Amino acid sequence: MRSLGIVVGALLVAVTAAPAAAQDAAAMRREIEQLRQQLQGLTERLQRLETQPVPQMATPPPAQPGPLAQSPANPQTQMSPPSATELLRPRQPFGLYQQRGSGQLLFDMGIAGDFVGSFTQHNVQKANGGTFTGRENRFFPREVELSLFGQIDPFARGEMRIETGEEAPGGEMNVTLAEATITLLTLPYGTQAKLGQMRNRFGWSNAIHEHDLPWIDRPDVYRVFLGEEGLKEKGVEGTWVPDFLPFYAQVLGGVFNGDNETAFGRGLLTHPLATGRVVTFFDLTDTQAVQVGASVANGETAERLRSTLLGFDLKYKFRPEGWLHPLLTLGSEGIYSIRRTERGVDLDGDGSPDLFQKQTRNSFGWYGWGELQPWRRWAFGVRYDSTQYPDAPGYQWAVEPYVTFYPSEFLRFRLGYKHTDRSHPFDVAGNGGSARLVDELLFQATFILGAHPAHAF
Amino acid sequence: MIKRIGVLVVLLAVAVAAVSPLPVQAARKLRVVATIPDLKSLAEAVGGDLIEVEGLTRGIQNFHEAEVKPSMMLKLRRADALIENGLELDAWADVAVLGANNPNIVRGAAGRIEISRGIQLLEVPSTRVDRSMGDVHPLGNPHFSLDPGLAPAITQNIVDGLGRLAPENRAAFQRNRDAFLVQLDKEMERWTKLMEPVKGRKVVVFHPVYIYFLTRFGLVQAGALEDRPGIPPSPQHLVNLMRQMKDDGVKVILVEPWNDVKLANRVAEEVGGKALVMASAVGAVKGADNYIAAIDYNVTTLVNALR
Repeated sequence: MRSLGIVVGALLVAVTAAPAAAQDAAAMRREIEQLRQQLQGLTERLQRLETQPVPQMATPPPAQPGPLAQSPANPQTQMSPPSATELLRPRQPFGLYQQRGSGQLLFDMGIAGDFVGSFTQHNVQKANGGTFTGRENRFFPREVELSLFGQIDPFARGEMRIETGEEAPGGEMNVTLAEATITLLTLPYGTQAKLGQMRNRFGWSNAIHEHDLPWIDRPDVYRVFLGEEGLKEKGVEGTWVPDFLPFYAQVLGGVFNGDNETAFGRGLLTHPLATGRVVTFFDLTDTQAVQVGASVANGETAERLRSTLLGFDLKYKFRPEGWLHPLLTLGSEGIYSIRRTERGVDLDGDGSPDLFQKQTRNSFGWYGWGELQPWRRWAFGVRYDSTQYPDAPGYQWAVEPYVTFYPSEFLRFRLGYKHTDRSHPFDVAGNGGSARLVDELLFQATFILGAHPAHAF
Repeated sequence: MIKRIGVLVVLLAVAVAAVSPLPVQAARKLRVVATIPDLKSLAEAVGGDLIEVEGLTRGIQNFHEAEVKPSMMLKLRRADALIENGLELDAWADVAVLGANNPNIVRGAAGRIEISRGIQLLEVPSTRVDRSMGDVHPLGNPHFSLDPGLAPAITQNIVDGLGRLAPENRAAFQRNRDAFLVQLDKEMERWTKLMEPVKGRKVVVFHPVYIYFLTRFGLVQAGALEDRPGIPPSPQHLVNLMRQMKDDGVKVILVEPWNDVKLANRVAEEVGGKALVMASAVGAVKGADNYIAAIDYNVTTLVNALR
């Protein structure tokens, strides 16, 4: 056994040391060859210049942008034979931050503030049955988020978001860690890994933060199947983008704790939540494109029962030639839930269950959405939601027209009306209120301060 | 135990492979992606038939607000090099690169070529800036590629970048660049002669896209339709601008094809002038199919209008 260990040790040393040494030598040779060719090229060019009249562009007007040949920032144009010290100096990517000025942050920072409010009926408020459960007829900060993001080093990118918001009327607002991730950017074969706490790439809209959603509220299907915040987990996601297909495709697999109490809740890596997603994209024309995705999440509930979610998503955009914004956006997402549940059976009629039977409960929910943006600053949209309940009988549907006004790229106001119709009375507060029929006037104000990364399609 | 050691060895091998840069095959052409068409055209001039170039955007787009589409990510997935403008004009490229899973072009990699290096920038804010000033660029105006006098610097950065990836072709890239600059020099001489009679004339722009171009040929940017960059103009600003244009005798407004051409035309009519739809990039207007053609279009259009 000991000899086996020695052999393995020697193998490891050989695997790491031999290629590394060979690569170092090869890299050095390449670099010396490159420098030699640069020097030769410059010498030839200098000789040519000396024998030719001075070109006009070599002397641009004073105090104006000039050719790089005059700039000290370009080492190639002031070439002299490199010294041994210069050859040994770390080069890109290790010299990356030397370009930055003093006093500059080496990462980006931004703040997003998202304020929402609602007006609704008194009985809905009493039952806590509105869109913003427990905060009906209030205006409040739903999500104020500080984001820090940037390159950790040449091999990885980091993102951290901390947020606060009102969760109960008048209650203290706790600052929580919304996301903290490391993305490994230099893995081979078109792969990438992201680890930490993150909004899962399940479906299209789940990964989007509240303030970036195209609606005031997250679609009902997500809130009913995954809770108000959607699916947000701690674990690892890996992606693969093949380069041999004629169209874009991304394959994703993930392993997470399974902390989401609404759909899973076991919270252990020994019984993890596994996720998967395939997404693809097609440019139909220069002005039209469509994205299609399918997702799966499989884990255990806190009661140690299996729970599986299957999702689909579809998004279409029409952006006329030269427009700064899409004219028409259409989208839909759906989730099919297959959940094992326990049902209590009252055998003796005393009102309390005597026997618990396991059963499989299947339920489905979806939404469809369309938005028209005829002007840069104004958008008009409507969303239709229809959702069964994953662990109880009944369903609800809702329709929500809205209008959005963008004074600028960094400020947005939205006004919407939402009508919800539930098949059963709804009373979260348990105080006799009723929220079977809900009519709400919803409004939203969102700002972005500082850096904010662009969003894909 | 042996199985676990086997797994360990495999993981180690994967880790070693992960931190090792994948060498570019010398035999095949370099696959190059450029964020904007001007850089695509200049890269084609430098790379010749030694590279294949694809663009992420088209000339008629506003590059500040280009939408990141997965089809961009597919191009980037296969790329050996990404040529970007920098100065936040194409900051969205980071999002596209993130979705491409290609270590060759991540920030800091040899294949990431930012061509603003060494450029003497204009409109660099000398005081504190914030978003109340609109879409300001704290590092300076990023639209320098429209200045033909900066083409030598830009193409040198491209030669340097491509030369890093294919040292064996560096001399060829340099030769291509030199040949292109000889051609550009001839055109530059002609453009300078054409512009000589209108030197010192004032024009108004819609968005500050042309400051490098105008400065190069000695013209003056007298104002902008946008009150602040990226923010639609207020009526009061337009009234003030039109008064100023009448007082100064400014008759020409330069506008990009993606901007509000109707508004530019209305303002021009009010002052008895003309709005010129310019080649704000290669491919922005018909006939501006490559870098020299785009500059030529702008020079000719401007001279004809100002005469």
